[in-house]
Amino acid sequence: MITIEKLREYGANVEEGLARCMNNEALYLRLVGMVPRDQNFTALKEAANTGDTRRVFEAAHAIKGALGNLSLTPLYEKASEITELARAGADAPYQSLAEELEAMRDALSGLIEE
Amino acid sequence: MKERQRYNSIRRRVLVVEDEAINREILSNILQSEYEVTCAENGQQALEILRGEGTFSLILLDLLMPVMSGEEMLSRCKADPALAGIPVIVMTQEGDAEVTSIRGGADDFIKKPYSMPEVILARCERIIDLYEKQSLIDRTETDPLTGLYSDEFFFEYIRRFAQADERALDAIVLDIEHFHLINEICGREVGNAILRKIASLITEELEEHFGIACRLSADTFYICHAGMEDYRAFTDRIESGMEELSLSGARIRLRFGINRQVDRSLPPEQWFDHAKLAEDGLRGDYTRRVAYYDQELHEKQLYQERLIRDIDRSIADRDFIVYYQPKYAIQGDKPALRSAEALIRWKHPELGMISPGDFIPLFESNGLVQKLDRFVWEEAGAQIRRWKDAYGRTVPISVNVSRIDIYDPRLEETLLSILDRNGLTTGEMHLEITESAYSDDQKRLIEVVESLRGRGFRIEMDDFGSGYSSLNMLTSIPIDVLKMDMKFARNMLKDEKSLKLCGLVMDISRFLDVPVVAEGVEEEAQLNKLRDMGCELVQGYYFSKPVPPEEFEALIKKEQTG
Repeated sequence: MITIEKLREYGANVEEGLARCMNNEALYLRLVGMVPRDQNFTALKEAANTGDTRRVFEAAHAIKGALGNLSLTPLYEKASEITELARAGADAPYQSLAEELEAMRDALSGLIEE
Repeated sequence: MKERQRYNSIRRRVLVVEDEAINREILSNILQSEYEVTCAENGQQALEILRGEGTFSLILLDLLMPVMSGEEMLSRCKADPALAGIPVIVMTQEGDAEVTSIRGGADDFIKKPYSMPEVILARCERIIDLYEKQSLIDRTETDPLTGLYSDEFFFEYIRRFAQADERALDAIVLDIEHFHLINEICGREVGNAILRKIASLITEELEEHFGIACRLSADTFYICHAGMEDYRAFTDRIESGMEELSLSGARIRLRFGINRQVDRSLPPEQWFDHAKLAEDGLRGDYTRRVAYYDQELHEKQLYQERLIRDIDRSIADRDFIVYYQPKYAIQGDKPALRSAEALIRWKHPELGMISPGDFIPLFESNGLVQKLDRFVWEEAGAQIRRWKDAYGRTVPISVNVSRIDIYDPRLEETLLSILDRNGLTTGEMHLEITESAYSDDQKRLIEVVESLRGRGFRIEMDDFGSGYSSLNMLTSIPIDVLKMDMKFARNMLKDEKSLKLCGLVMDISRFLDVPVVAEGVEEEAQLNKLRDMGCELVQGYYFSKPVPPEEFEALIKKEQTG
């Protein structure tokens, strides 16, 4: 079960996230629970593996847009980093960046499933 | 102003268009504290909702979405007049997208991640407020005379109310009988005092019950009411309030038309059209002052709508048939077939034979009669030709020229073209203009009639004696034949007065030096009397009812052999 406390330890700005949910804790936690299931994580990994920078951008941008409002800072910052690199068409290690992002997502999944 | 406050507290509807479920939920949660929220997952779904589910006060639009992007949806909204008036706030993570979307018609933008809820709510409120004020700013909110709402505001508020409130609504129309006479006889000041009094009585009623009112036009008031069990008390109080205004004995009569529990799937204007329809039924009825829009009226209305819908198809399919009624000259040794009048019949494929009394007044009221007239002219033209070829003689046919045809600048051209195509002259088709058309716009009528006569047409004044034609008018409008209304011949042997009036019509015809056609002659005694009085032509069941062309031919043949 995920709690506010665990999210705080994870590095999330829970005050901000909660405020966007009008301080409805149940809503906030339920929405956080939806994050790991986002199909864009898989899409990002596939795009990174095939070296399709355009699709890397789209997937990372979508992830950033979805979880930004929950203030899950570590995931948000990593997704932003990938987005900006791909937007500029930079030659970056997208595969390892995608794996880092995936690891952070898995950490969040772990908190949810604990 | 009390009503205004009620309307400001109405919950407005907001549409959130966003493909990301998390964001939809966050936004809905924020907005639902103030608004009724509906969500769509892409632009296409959003357009379907906007086109199908009533009015929205605001759209919150994500730009990057599958199926149909926000940018495309925005441009489609702005191109659709029904949707262009809804403000749009664009939600984006992209700084530079702001510029493009504001150019594309967005009114504001919200950056992702979202600002705090209070900021979002404030922005939504500001935009909605701005739009509503703007849409009403050029209009007057109230009627300066009575202080009630103007019709535009009235309908706007009803729409907003109906969106937000489920209560049953009644639509009421209130009219003053012969209000223009009150104005004329007692003066405008008195008329205005009456209108103000009615408005204040209505307002008093509305204090206790939920509702709003407007003055639609001179003496017509519209009231929208959230249900009242019995309207008797309501109408009684307004009427007795009116009695306090003493008008030197003149009683002010009010008429109420009530449409209970309006059909909310129809636009509010129509709720009141229905109430008005009920109210119109009270004209001239001095026994009732309240009428309800009910099933019977509703069915009558549906029936009339059906007739209006079917007229074109029936003309194309030749469901309309022209019958002919002969006119006989009666001053000779024996009656002689002289001419005919064309009369339209409708054999509707599903409704069967429809009486002209059911469709002619309806089509006269909405101008569609012009299509029927044209059809009859074409048919009659071709018929005159056929008889001329078959029997070597012209049976002139009189056709109807309706009031609306008089205003058609191509009237003459149309008639001449029909004659031309059939190789006929203007002397062979006669034109009947009904007496009531003469009182309309005399200047125009005189011009048209003079021009038609200049072309050689004979003009017959139809239904003479049934309307309000003055003797003065008869001398100023040139005509060739007087058709005496059928009620004179019908009653001439029953009462002395009708007989005397018949004589008077004959005198007028002698004074104008034009022949009289007596319509509605059914018995030999009537015929003999009319002959003695100097009437030249007769039409009626005594000789023949209106018949289809084949039967009419038998009458022509009979004359030739006999």
